[in-house]
Amino acid sequence: MNPIITSSPTPKSNSNKRELLFTFQSIIVTGLLAFTAIAFFFYNDLSIVKGIKVIFAPFLSVVPLLFVLSILRDLQKGFIEGNYSKNEIIRFCAITLLITASFTGITYLLSKIDALEILLAAIMAILSAIFFLKSKIKDILGMSIVTGIAEGIIVYMIFLF
Amino acid sequence: MKLKNLNMAFIVTTGVSVVVFIYLVFLGYDEIRTLKDVIKIIASIMFPIPMLFFVRFILIEHFLPQNTDDYKLKNQKPATLLLILAVIFGVGAMQLTEYLTGQKLENHLIFAHLINSTTISSYVLNYILYNNLKANGILSGVLLSLAIHVFFLSA
Repeated sequence: MNPIITSSPTPKSNSNKRELLFTFQSIIVTGLLAFTAIAFFFYNDLSIVKGIKVIFAPFLSVVPLLFVLSILRDLQKGFIEGNYSKNEIIRFCAITLLITASFTGITYLLSKIDALEILLAAIMAILSAIFFLKSKIKDILGMSIVTGIAEGIIVYMIFLF
Repeated sequence: MKLKNLNMAFIVTTGVSVVVFIYLVFLGYDEIRTLKDVIKIIASIMFPIPMLFFVRFILIEHFLPQNTDDYKLKNQKPATLLLILAVIFGVGAMQLTEYLTGQKLENHLIFAHLINSTTISSYVLNYILYNNLKANGILSGVLLSLAIHVFFLSA
């Protein structure tokens, strides 16, 4: 018997690596959303109109999210091992661009909100959507949507804010 | 383990480019006046990172560098050509844009930071992981032209 525990590192497949990247991307988006909320909060001098709403704002989106997560099965099969074909790459890059454009618009709409509790509710709703993507749509589609959201927020911050 | 090292290299690259840019921005930039400027700069530094992750996500198979002499010999000429072309094109485009809009790049540092951070991040990523010499030529060309523009051509 060999007493030494040969702690061979688990062989990392490509799909594992893709999953890791997906996780990183969702963390980045979460950070960006928090950053957006803080930026708007400080810059627009948001005030709390009704304190009770602030407490209940997260429930609005978190409760449906948890419910949906608990009843839904995984929507995609997961990350593939091999390469993506050219058509797929083009299609998902297009989707990413589309989501980027629409999220630039959505961030613009967020900047028009002048009450803190509504902003909080909106950010929580987007965050819930991201967690939903993260846990159920583990695929290149989820990745391109998350990337699009991140880039949309950044583009708004650079060019329009 | 080689694959693990490469993945580490990717993360380190991203981290280093962020740190370098934060350093550059807050040392050499005396035009930060409002919170808005800070937010814009942070956003322009963050800009390449999600894109890099996306590229890595798609191109995960092609990353192993085949750094053979043969490959280098074959790509020397096109890479050098692309470098020169990119420098000429980059400087020309920036001069033309300044001429047409009548504004200086120095007055819109966000754009400089944006080009800079995007190019450096992709440069380091390409250098470490993909080792594509042609892409290396183009990216070096863009960085060089930006440097030439800022140092020599904008009095």
